[in-house]
Amino acid sequence: MKAFKLDNEPKIASGFTTPDGYFDTFSAKLLTQLPKQEPKVISIFRVTKAWYYAAVAILILMLSVPLYNQFASHKEEVDSATLEEYLAYNSNLSEDEIVNLLDKEDLEKMKVEFNVQDKEIEDALDSNTNLEQYILD
Amino acid sequence: MQEEKDFIQELLNPKTQNQAFQKLLQDYQKPLYYHIRNIVLNHDDADDVLQNTFVKVFQYLKDFKGDSKLFSWMYRIATNEAITFINQKAKRNGSTSEAMQSKIVDNLKADTYFDGNEIQLKLQKAITLLPEKQQLVFKMKYYEEIKYEDMSEILGTSVGALKASYHHAVKKIEDFMKTN
Repeated sequence: MKAFKLDNEPKIASGFTTPDGYFDTFSAKLLTQLPKQEPKVISIFRVTKAWYYAAVAILILMLSVPLYNQFASHKEEVDSATLEEYLAYNSNLSEDEIVNLLDKEDLEKMKVEFNVQDKEIEDALDSNTNLEQYILD
Repeated sequence: MQEEKDFIQELLNPKTQNQAFQKLLQDYQKPLYYHIRNIVLNHDDADDVLQNTFVKVFQYLKDFKGDSKLFSWMYRIATNEAITFINQKAKRNGSTSEAMQSKIVDNLKADTYFDGNEIQLKLQKAITLLPEKQQLVFKMKYYEEIKYEDMSEILGTSVGALKASYHHAVKKIEDFMKTN
């Protein structure tokens, strides 16, 4: 059998055919399908989506405004009130009262210090074996 | 190229859209139909895939960046649609696309919309025995006479690789035609 060469043969067509007038009616058939898929539909959806996000953002902002006010005003009120109170109280405070207050604190501190010192002295005395000798001397 | 840009603008402008799309259909329905038909083989399936292809072209035209030619972009969509279609059809029938395609070719003689002689039928049979990529390259080069440069843009394969694929395909087909 002689070698078969595609290039030497007359062109072999695929043999596929279509129904009569298929291409005449195809475009009309297709165009009726397109409006359903129009990008406009997508754009409307996108717009509503944008509005939805905008609404959520505004809602969050609105909710956060009173919260912010509460925090901000509280801070100011407390600051000025305590400052005024402190100044008023401070100006009427006598020196004796201040000294008394300081003394009490100092005394408590000293008490603690003395306690510690007592313990240390006791420990030192306990550990000292020559204690009795010293006492006798 | 500028002409194509203007045409794309017409396709996107709602005022000129219908008329421009009609022109697009007139220009491309035939070549795209035969491109799809060569892959799916059956007329009804080709009709379905062609409709899906044009709907997708219409839908995604606004995203078409013009990196490639409109022609190759449309062919790429058609090719993907056709291959997806045969794979899904084979899956539905619990078969592989290769087995399904060779079954269709075996019954091609009885197909109302196939009008071919013995040698045409034999060539169709020889093609089904090729690997998928070689089938596609052979059909596009031999039946559709698409240039390698365009085919490269459509399939995203280098011209060299396409030439090699075609060469292998031709050799296998010639062997089949000689021995059967």
